[in-house]
Amino acid sequence: MKFKKMMAVTLIAAMTMSMAACGNNEAGTTNGGNAGTTDDGNAEAAGTESADAGSTATGALSYADITLGEDYTDLTATISMFNHRTDMDSEDYGGKNWASYIADFNQMYPNITVNITTTTSYADDALMHLQAGDYETIMCIPAVDKSDLDSYFISYGDLDTMKSEINYASTWEYGGEVYGVPSTATTQGIVYNKKVFEEAGVTEIPKTPDEFIAALQAIKDNTDAIPLYTNYAAGWTMGAWDAYIGNNATGDSTYMNQKLVHTANPFKDYGDETHAYAVYKVLYDAVANGLIEDDYATTDWEGCKGMINNGEIGCMVLGSWAIPQMKAAGDNADDIGYMPFPISIDGVQYASDGADYSYGINANATEDEQAAAMVFVKWLTEESGFSYNEDGLPVDADSTETKLSFDGVTFIQDEPSVAGEEDLLNEMNSESELNINAGGDTKIQQIIEHAANGDMTFDEIMDQWNQSWSDAQESLGVEVTEE
Amino acid sequence: MEAKKPFNLIKWAKSRKGQQVLICVAFMVIPLTLLLVFTYLPFEEMVRFSFYKMKYGTPREKWQFVGWKNYIDVFSRDDCFGALKLSLYYMAGAIIQLVLALYLATILSFKVKGGNFFKGLMFFPYLISGIAIGFIFKFFYTRGFVFDTILQWLGFELENLPYWLKDQSVNNWSLVATSVWRYFGQNMVLFIGAIMSVDAELYEAAQLDGANKFQQFKHIILPSIKTIVTLNVILSITGSLSAFEQPFVITDGANGTGTYFIIMNEIAHVSQKVGLASAMAVVLLLIIFVCAILQQLFFKYVFRDAASEDESYKAKKARLKAEKAAARAAKKGVA
Repeated sequence: MKFKKMMAVTLIAAMTMSMAACGNNEAGTTNGGNAGTTDDGNAEAAGTESADAGSTATGALSYADITLGEDYTDLTATISMFNHRTDMDSEDYGGKNWASYIADFNQMYPNITVNITTTTSYADDALMHLQAGDYETIMCIPAVDKSDLDSYFISYGDLDTMKSEINYASTWEYGGEVYGVPSTATTQGIVYNKKVFEEAGVTEIPKTPDEFIAALQAIKDNTDAIPLYTNYAAGWTMGAWDAYIGNNATGDSTYMNQKLVHTANPFKDYGDETHAYAVYKVLYDAVANGLIEDDYATTDWEGCKGMINNGEIGCMVLGSWAIPQMKAAGDNADDIGYMPFPISIDGVQYASDGADYSYGINANATEDEQAAAMVFVKWLTEESGFSYNEDGLPVDADSTETKLSFDGVTFIQDEPSVAGEEDLLNEMNSESELNINAGGDTKIQQIIEHAANGDMTFDEIMDQWNQSWSDAQESLGVEVTEE
Repeated sequence: MEAKKPFNLIKWAKSRKGQQVLICVAFMVIPLTLLLVFTYLPFEEMVRFSFYKMKYGTPREKWQFVGWKNYIDVFSRDDCFGALKLSLYYMAGAIIQLVLALYLATILSFKVKGGNFFKGLMFFPYLISGIAIGFIFKFFYTRGFVFDTILQWLGFELENLPYWLKDQSVNNWSLVATSVWRYFGQNMVLFIGAIMSVDAELYEAAQLDGANKFQQFKHIILPSIKTIVTLNVILSITGSLSAFEQPFVITDGANGTGTYFIIMNEIAHVSQKVGLASAMAVVLLLIIFVCAILQQLFFKYVFRDAASEDESYKAKKARLKAEKAAARAAKKGVA
């Protein structure tokens, strides 16, 4: 009997508990689920207080005032860092791995212990860590709203000061303060195998779509390599083609974020081998002329790295972040080259450059940890050579060192959207379902399908897209001001 | 006796009757709460979403009420209902799958050498995660890989073989085959379970009456397991209407393999038209309802002879005819 009573009581308790939990649950959703902003993060015991030159009069840390090797050398702290470079955890990593970076760092700062954790599903996991409130001292800033930056991360300093310290300072700027220092910076172009191009007899890097298709044809005729590997099956590699329709195809830094939404029929033929039309036509023509892999439906992203390294692939359209991975995938790192997208505007080739993931420092960490974290970030940026080693463009404002040889290419950066229209491109993407630079992989895959099956000409596809775009402009009431 | 004691809650709760009531309530409340909170509430929310134009992150006050527009869009867009045509491939696959499963189940429920080994072997695919199956078959169907190699051993020329995932005339069949491979083992095990429950004496009696194996199957096994057959058919048909995993993992829904679910996922998560996607989900639910009801009617008709209580259509017609005639005769008699 006693046992039964206990059972009954336990059941009732469980019942009430679950009811209470449900009640909480609902309260949470009505609040918009913004539990992530609560300040219950890392509250570990504080060590010794230290006031070095790195702190300004108000006591806040400042990136610019830290002198590496002089400040904070006696600081003892343990910091953690979370990022997406799982490959750099490995001993077999072709470049310099995390362990050797930390070893180098500890020569200058022996008392600061850095623990690095990495994951392959970083973008989602990082948001989850932030929302849970218990996150690492240094995070690569995931997709958070800029207005939330100051509740998660500390400022490195104001924008003007930071601009003289690093490039791309405005990437994670809000209210005049800078919350992120880029790990490295990348640009958009085409990864290619130099040896394959040489064997095919292509000596000049193609600068126009026609020259590029001719080069691919030469590879097909003269070598055994696949001229252009599409990575159709991976999906996101297809959406990556959208990155070229802005600066690369127009040379106009206001095109992507300001003009595109107001443009009438942006996918029309401009007649001079520029704009989005020319970008996607390269893909259509390559497929229609059989210049891509045989069975595109079963392409393999991991496999393609080794194939381009071995000279089985001529080129792939990918951001420059892909270079170190292609180099590390085999013994022929020196064969991997990078060229700008083959579109010239009045004889000039353009390329966008922008920050990769940026480091943010936990706003809830202790002062010592924050100081140690900022020292580590500054060291990574100025001393470690990380950006150079990873084939990136320089982040440190005083450095021009990079392995990328983009001769004669003008770098431009997308201007932000006009005030009041920040969400307009997103709205247009959603309404038109073209999802430009926003996961619109399907539409690019369809270019390949139609080109391969021959059931739709390129102009028909572009007309369809123009129609979707115009319909969306109409339904959202967007003014059409650009031709 | 008349003067009742005041009701004592604690004492009542300690009494046998009180305990029974409390435990009954407790056992009922927990599953009902879970069901309500995690099934019906979200469903109701989804139905509400389907009348709005909204994205995931849109704050509630910015939702735009659009009435039936999302539903009209579902019916007027080519891609939504066009995708349902693909379900026909999966339904054809489902029929093959059930016939195969029933056939193997019948064989394996009699004494077969290594029967359990075969059962395990055929059930095994069901235990592998769908994602893993996706990767297995991606390589299986890749040009010149596993499948092509096997066919070449059998004497086919590589040039005459289609591209299993690239060629739009065969790629849906390739995906359906994967689905059949994965699920027929599970159907088979369910069938075996049902067949085991058939009284073995019936076979003996049938044998004495001179029934062959097929007649035994038709007249003993099939009627005895009709409930499980109906269940399996309903599950397979709803499953083929909502096919998702195979095309999502193997082809990413590209190249003409985008089923209704794939399109819905794309609209909801890439284009973020949550209202439209919710409307699609509600429409699919209604379609599944209709299918389920039609199947019920169909099976009622098919198994009418077997179900002893239900009279068959013919018998009913005859009875009505007889009653009518009797009534007419009675009328005549009165006149």
